[in-house]
Amino acid sequence: MQQPLKHIIHKNTFWLSADRCMYWEEEKTLILADLHFGKTGHFRKSGIAIPQAVYKEDLQRLVNLIQHFQPKELIVVGDLFHSKANKELELFQKWRNDLASIKLQLVKGNHDILDEVWYQRAGIEVYQQELFIKDFSFVHDIKGSGIPSSHSKLYTFSGHIHPAIQLIGPGKQSFRFPCFYFTRKFAVLPAFSRFTGTHLIDPKKGEKVYAIADGKLIPVS
Amino acid sequence: MSQPLKNTIGYQIVYNWLTSQQRKPFLFQQETWQHIINGKSGLVNAPTGCGKTYSVFLGALIQFINEHSKNYKDKKNSGLQLLWITPLRALAKDIARAMEEVIAGLEMKWKIGIRNGDTNTAERARQKKQMPEVLIITPESLHLLLAQKGYKEFFSSLKIIAVDEWHELLGSKRGVQVELAISRIVGSRKQDIANTSDSSNSKLLTPDSRLSTPDSQLSIWGISATIGNIEEAKNILISPLEKEGVTIKAEMEKTVEVESIFPDEIEKYPWSGHLGIKLISKVIPIVLESKTTLIFINTRGMSETWYQKILDACPELAGVIALHHGSVDMELRTWIEENLHSGKLKAVVCTASLDLGVDFRPVETVIQVGSPKGVARFLQRAGRSGHSFDAASKIYFLPTHSLELMEAAALKNAIAEKLIESREPMILCYDVLVQYLSTLAVSDGFDPECIFKEIITTNCYKEMTEEEWNRILNFISSGGNALQQYDDYKKMEWEDGLFKIKNRRIAMRHRMNIGTIVSESMLKVKFISGGYVGVIEEYFISRLQPGDVFTLAGRNLEFVAIKDMTALVKKSSSKKSKVPSWQGGRMPLSANLGFMLRKTLDKIKIQNPIAIGSKSGEAVPDIYKFLPAELVKLKPLFELQEELSYLPGENELLIEQIETEDGFHLFVYPFEGRLVHEAMAAILAYRISRITPITFSFAMNDYGFELLSDQPIPIDDSNVYELFSPENLLEDIQRSINSTEMAKRKFRDIAVIGGLIFQGYPGEQKKARHLQNSASLLFNVLSEYEPDNLLLRQSYTEVMEQQMEEARLRDMLKRIQDSKIVLTFPKQLTPFCFPVKVDSLREELSSEKLEDRIRKMIPQS
Repeated sequence: MQQPLKHIIHKNTFWLSADRCMYWEEEKTLILADLHFGKTGHFRKSGIAIPQAVYKEDLQRLVNLIQHFQPKELIVVGDLFHSKANKELELFQKWRNDLASIKLQLVKGNHDILDEVWYQRAGIEVYQQELFIKDFSFVHDIKGSGIPSSHSKLYTFSGHIHPAIQLIGPGKQSFRFPCFYFTRKFAVLPAFSRFTGTHLIDPKKGEKVYAIADGKLIPVS
Repeated sequence: MSQPLKNTIGYQIVYNWLTSQQRKPFLFQQETWQHIINGKSGLVNAPTGCGKTYSVFLGALIQFINEHSKNYKDKKNSGLQLLWITPLRALAKDIARAMEEVIAGLEMKWKIGIRNGDTNTAERARQKKQMPEVLIITPESLHLLLAQKGYKEFFSSLKIIAVDEWHELLGSKRGVQVELAISRIVGSRKQDIANTSDSSNSKLLTPDSRLSTPDSQLSIWGISATIGNIEEAKNILISPLEKEGVTIKAEMEKTVEVESIFPDEIEKYPWSGHLGIKLISKVIPIVLESKTTLIFINTRGMSETWYQKILDACPELAGVIALHHGSVDMELRTWIEENLHSGKLKAVVCTASLDLGVDFRPVETVIQVGSPKGVARFLQRAGRSGHSFDAASKIYFLPTHSLELMEAAALKNAIAEKLIESREPMILCYDVLVQYLSTLAVSDGFDPECIFKEIITTNCYKEMTEEEWNRILNFISSGGNALQQYDDYKKMEWEDGLFKIKNRRIAMRHRMNIGTIVSESMLKVKFISGGYVGVIEEYFISRLQPGDVFTLAGRNLEFVAIKDMTALVKKSSSKKSKVPSWQGGRMPLSANLGFMLRKTLDKIKIQNPIAIGSKSGEAVPDIYKFLPAELVKLKPLFELQEELSYLPGENELLIEQIETEDGFHLFVYPFEGRLVHEAMAAILAYRISRITPITFSFAMNDYGFELLSDQPIPIDDSNVYELFSPENLLEDIQRSINSTEMAKRKFRDIAVIGGLIFQGYPGEQKKARHLQNSASLLFNVLSEYEPDNLLLRQSYTEVMEQQMEEARLRDMLKRIQDSKIVLTFPKQLTPFCFPVKVDSLREELSSEKLEDRIRKMIPQS
């Protein structure tokens, strides 16, 4: 795997990983979006045969990232789980028990529809709308929460849209890659789960995009 | 056992009735009736509109009357006798009406039922209680019937399965559905017999029940228009019976008159890039002089434009001209069809949507705009005119670019030589099988051993190995790769030796998804003030901004908003509008027509007379004198081609290398249709790229293809045969980048049919939101985590067979190896390469800019 890339906001250092997450050095926090755990299980329960290996790989990748960055905390900006509880989540719980010392904070996304009790039992701190730390805030959907006004010092991290960027090459070739998307006032993280679709973004001048291509981060603009 | 038809009471009764209607049975009908009462199966090969329905339907009646000669008039509730499978649900009503007329005329008590997507629940319930004697059904609804508990009962009295328009179904997955349904009906009847003979030892069997014992006399009859492989078509249909069948040919060949509509000056007619609109002034008089005219246009988008332009050119046609295509609202389409019957419409601009169906007697004239792509399709469209038996079918051919006139000449030849395309049956469609097994699991459950024996009697699955079968069973019962204890995959359960789907929600979802026609994601289009206009692809709408104006069903509409899977619009008076481009519908040129085109070129190619003539200054012998009018008309174009480059003969392959400011072009003209050219372009590009690092873009049409690069393309006499070698074809196809992308496109349909993607109905979609999934995502996931997935593998096979037309590609390469390859280096674009080049632009630029571009590209003379 490629070394993480450094991205600085308000003098804080964020290490972007091609494994679809970022590490906040000052706070020793791993920030992730749209993990959609239990998605394959949700499909399978309905008789739609999606291989569970995707889920297993997602979970394994998270374990590797935690070993690599050794964070104290995780912040998930929504859609940690895909839908209702199913057997696949037992595997998540097992994983959670093994790493009980890490603080896990979830800003609820539209997919996070489990009972409050469930989150409590799994040791997840739940934020209904927004989480504030220093000059930063964490939301699920930036469109829903609103972009911080240009006067405020606040910078927001979000998920939800599963951003992707399209690159057009010669000979009508076009590629689409998941990406990190940084505007002046907010950032959108790529979906952590590999079993998710993407939504094309249209970055404006001055905004920063890192495409995740072939296990590498490529600054695009 | 068998008796001569004419001695039977059934025949006499039917004959008398026909006589009372001033009709006489045709020879082929009598032949069919004789075989039916003999209990034979087979195929009736007859064109539309000459009593093909009667051939099988009256046969069923004769058989019934013969068996119930005493009480045939009063016998009610006899159970299903005749199952009539038709591809088009719009046809059902007309067929039912015709059948009911006969039943009334014979004073019988048979009931005719219709079963398709439009049948309401009350009617379905009635049918479940008491099946009508005749059930007219689509392949999809037939499978829905198999999804009902106790479906076997429906078929226990069945005598004949008739499959109408079999040529339309064959070669598609709907045809496979028919094969499977027949295998099940035949299989369940065999089980019945086995069960009754088991119990026949018992004394309890009353004479009466012995009479109603289902005998082995279930016959299958196909009805088909002429296709190249008519015998194969028959064998596939009756394959589950494991018996020989007969083919009955209606000897009523119609004369087809083909007339081309010529531009006044071929030199000024565009080489490419328009829709034939320039010839509209020649179309108007034809429309005005005929009672009713059908104008066939190849794509829905083009038909919208044509409809508008005809109205512009001849406003008095308003009210008596209509537009008919697959996206026009169903109600409006029905209205149009009714008014075609009654002769109230003067002209209908239509697409393949009117290819099939009952005859519209008032139709006198047919105009085909642009290439029909195949001989069979052209004949079928021609056959829509001139319905009295002695009248010839008249079809006009209107070229959309000058070279297309060549196709008219080729079509005439092909018709004369009866060179009609075959319909290649589909093989080993795992997706349809997975769906079918789920269907059986939803109703009564299935015994895998028994069903395996049945499916290998079908043509589609006869090559299926037990290993593949077990993998299918494993896929549907355990759902592929899983995490054992963390899995709650649920679909089929094993109970009493049967696979069953017991979860009600899964069962319901499966019923909703039965079918093999996977439509693009469509939105309804509705006026804000109310009233449907039609449907449109989501893809097109998603690119519109509110306020944009587009054309649908001949109306200019302003897009307002999307709400609940409906696009809301209001009327617009704007002159400018976008014409939707619909996906699909781009048929490639058939192999037969391609062959005829090459032959046609051969005719004009005689020893380069122009060159001889110009050198010696002597008069050129007029070789064009004996040629069809179309080729004579094209003389200036051929001469220019000859002058600038070369005119290839039948056994020659022309390759042109031209340098322009765009870069280095390589044009190749195999005349093998768009798809083969697309594949060949990719393979050639790959093979050249192994010689030297190089980047290409491709373009192709039905005549040839283009490779474009920013550096010279290293192809010459020394390597050209090698580059077109059939050796390592398969490997090179796989290595050429496109196959994954193509497979991804194919996979969408396969995943929907195979139940991996849940489409749902509009409005239902919200409920199942957490089950939404895109085909390309699923494709990627499976490619990575379950590469041997059967449905994934099928998508690659389909690409090979259909998209790449691998067999045809291979034939082409073999042909090229035996022919002379001619390399030329023209100084400017040639008449041949122009359409190829422009077609490729079509995908990149909007239509307005395109016209500008074309104007600039035409050589100034």
